[in-house]
Amino acid sequence: MPLYICNTKKGTLSPEAKRNIAQDITRIHCSVTGAPAIFVHAVFFEEAPFFPLEEKTLFVRGTIRKGRSAVQREEIADAVRQSLVSHGQTSIDETQAVILETPASWVLEGGEIMPEPGEEAEWFAAQQARRQAAEV
Amino acid sequence: MINCTCVVQEGQSPDLHQDVLKGTLGEFSERAFGQGADIKWVRVPPGSGFTAGEPSTSSVVSMVSNEPLEAPHRELLLRELVDLWVGQTGCSVDEIVAVLADPAQA
Repeated sequence: MPLYICNTKKGTLSPEAKRNIAQDITRIHCSVTGAPAIFVHAVFFEEAPFFPLEEKTLFVRGTIRKGRSAVQREEIADAVRQSLVSHGQTSIDETQAVILETPASWVLEGGEIMPEPGEEAEWFAAQQARRQAAEV
Repeated sequence: MINCTCVVQEGQSPDLHQDVLKGTLGEFSERAFGQGADIKWVRVPPGSGFTAGEPSTSSVVSMVSNEPLEAPHRELLLRELVDLWVGQTGCSVDEIVAVLADPAQA
């Protein structure tokens, strides 16, 4: 977590474009929130019925840990849409990005309950200590 | 029924163990919530899944509880869910993200 799900019309994104957008999403999310890159997942689908395009060519739904401000969420959404325009060769009007929130305590990743925003360093240290203890 | 969505990388171990995992998740749901699971299996096409901007081997399994859960109970269920997934697929704990949401905010 975060998980960014991108749905597009068929044939909109090349493999290279998907990779570039995924790297942009990672950079944008980490830059805005300070979260580590290893948490950032991005997946791409074409005309997937479970994530409707709603008349758009490219649609992104990002689910991030709860606790970011509305300004941060808007900044992420705007920057992601710019990435879609840049790599999807489409207009901003053909894109949509929605950022939803999930409490960190609802998510288990890397074998541990996710840290609250801002508590990542302690989380990684505790995870490392537990893994070392398990190896002894 | 408990809503469950599994997002897996197509052709990787979790996808290949789909039938077994669906059965295991259904049994888990019965034990945890007293109801079976309505499982949506979503395959990420090859070359379309990324973690940290690089090709991903991660899966996401997400369930919505039928009642709000206290944190300790939720953690126990999440750990059981991950243990089941890892045990069935052979993937590492670093390759599975588990989400257990409350119904009101799902």
